[in-house]
Amino acid sequence: MDLAVTEMTNWAVDLIDVRKTYGRRIQALGGVSIQVGRGEIFGLLGPNGAGKTTLVKIMMSVVRPDSAYGTVLGRPIGHRGKLARIGYLPESHRFPGYLTGAQVLDFYAALAKVPRQKRAANVEKWLHRVGMTQWASTRIRKYSKGMMQRLGLAQALMNDPEMVVLDEPTDGVDPVGRRSIRELLIELKRAGTTVFLNSHMLSELEMVCDRVAILVGGMVARQGTLKELTDHTLEYQIRCGGDVAALTEKIQGLGGRCEDGAVILAGHDPQKLNALIDVLRAGNVLIDSVEPRRFSLEDILVEAMGAETGAGAAAAPIGIARHAT
Amino acid sequence: MQLWALIVDGFRQAVDSKIFWVLACGTVVIMLALLSIGFEEGKAVFLFGAFETESGGYNPMFELGRSRLVGVIIYYVMSLFLGWIGVVLMIIATADLIPGMLQSGSVEVLAAKPISRWRLFLYRYLSGLVFVFLQAALFIGLTVLVMGFRWGVWRPGLLASIPLLVLMFSYLYCVSAAVAVKTRSALACVLITIGAWVVFAMVSQAPMLMEAFRMEKSSRLYRVVYAVSWVPPKTGDLPILAARFAHAGTSSDVLPESVLQSGGPQQREDFELAREIEERQLKQPPVYSIGSSLLFEAVVLGFAMLSFARTDF
Ligand SMILES: Nc1ncnc2c1ncn2[C@@H]1O[C@H](COP(=O)(O)OP(=O)(O)O)[C@@H](O)[C@H]1O
Ligand SMILES: [Mg+2]
Repeated sequence: MDLAVTEMTNWAVDLIDVRKTYGRRIQALGGVSIQVGRGEIFGLLGPNGAGKTTLVKIMMSVVRPDSAYGTVLGRPIGHRGKLARIGYLPESHRFPGYLTGAQVLDFYAALAKVPRQKRAANVEKWLHRVGMTQWASTRIRKYSKGMMQRLGLAQALMNDPEMVVLDEPTDGVDPVGRRSIRELLIELKRAGTTVFLNSHMLSELEMVCDRVAILVGGMVARQGTLKELTDHTLEYQIRCGGDVAALTEKIQGLGGRCEDGAVILAGHDPQKLNALIDVLRAGNVLIDSVEPRRFSLEDILVEAMGAETGAGAAAAPIGIARHAT
Repeated sequence: MQLWALIVDGFRQAVDSKIFWVLACGTVVIMLALLSIGFEEGKAVFLFGAFETESGGYNPMFELGRSRLVGVIIYYVMSLFLGWIGVVLMIIATADLIPGMLQSGSVEVLAAKPISRWRLFLYRYLSGLVFVFLQAALFIGLTVLVMGFRWGVWRPGLLASIPLLVLMFSYLYCVSAAVAVKTRSALACVLITIGAWVVFAMVSQAPMLMEAFRMEKSSRLYRVVYAVSWVPPKTGDLPILAARFAHAGTSSDVLPESVLQSGGPQQREDFELAREIEERQLKQPPVYSIGSSLLFEAVVLGFAMLSFARTDF
């Protein structure tokens, strides 16, 4: 019993077998289990329609799951009171246009049960932090997309949450803005806030996430720390001088291939690599460098999608393959 | 705190619509018009003295005259400008409160706050009623003051019309709220609510119409219609309830004798019947009208809340 409790509270988010079907047919989530550690930046990635938003909405009790077990901040999913400790920025959010920026923050914070004095202080603090102070008393119907996004972030932080859940926070934000959002996330993490991030923009996540889960077609395809997921080698690239062409057959026999002045060996197999080097050395080829190339998050995503949608899909876009045949 | 925030926000949204200003200007114009009427020594003076006539049966020196003046205000000024035009404008002004909240992008933020769905819905609904309350309080409060200071007719019982109007509006607003949950369209809310208003009025007045056409009260049709007439909310009962609280008599008491005596014997008989029906309504305890209407409202709201609580946004 005690053990179960500590295990429960170790995770900020511990979801087990979350399922959701919209209407009769559209299965958005087919049994998703993910764990998010306290104080880490967690990235949920996947292509559009993978079910990321649905999962987040279930955590925030905006959508009712067909079945879901587990906890969010140590409380069962759907616990209303705990929502006061979570900040949430929905995907393509909209705030009432008749309010000013400061009024928006105050209104939503009041609904999050932030006491009045705290609200006044936090409006100032977060508007300043997202660089919107001079727009505080402008009605938000005059705001640009980027400004709305910054205000949305401030809104999610108004209750000084234990965890913030951000659904595509960099959507419609220019590169400079994206960079400052990234910095904000890192700052939050330093302050001990758990950050749960949804994104289909891979490069951004790679830079800040401690752990990621890849969601494809409503299922978790991969989950782990960035290091765990990307730390195995995709291929070796051997740069060399001399006549490689003569050795082509032998190289191919070992599973390698020649590509503009370099020999490429796919997979992570040091035995094969050494055998290949022996062949090259025996052929009097001068080896310049041997470089392992690692998986990027993008490679992993493409690979995961390929596994999901069937072989070949990852190698060539489905549309092209179909047109060719 | 959450209730206050939602009510303030609802008010801000309603004020943001142009209808708010139309309502406010309308109130000012009507108050000026009432102010322009005065009574001096048996004469009624209009437009600050531009015209004058004998005040006749409306002399506020006498109790009968005072009651008739209050009746005129209730049956003609208030029920026309506030009870009809005002209510239509207020239906429009408040129509977007719930659909606006339910727009995709907005509703997710609200639904993820530590407040239950039914509370969120109910508070928002109340914010619409608070808006109407303030509008009605302004109109009726000013009317009472004008009547008191300008005419010397003090009838604080008229203030009961403020909650009565809010009550009557709530009968209609529950329809608007339910439509909002189902369609999320302010336009649909306005159209269906006004349509429902017409239907409510027709159904709940049907037995009286049948009586006016001298249908046998013991006939089966009459009894069925009479039973059904209790189902919809009694939106048409506002003037009669207001008159009851302000001790103003029926709508025919308000008219001068000359009007009542004009016309043929047939018309006079119709008048008598109408007066008889109204008098019966006046004597009926308000709890029948209000209770049955609130029951209807509770059912509609319950349905709307249930539907709201079960929606995936
Ligand atoms: N309210 C809804 N009603 C019906 N289907 C929905 C609804 N929301 C999402 N879906 C469907 O569920 C699937 C997952 O969507 P979503 O969770 O938005 O994915 P993502 O955020 O990863 O793009 C999609 O096929 C989408 O069309
Ligand atoms: Mg999404």
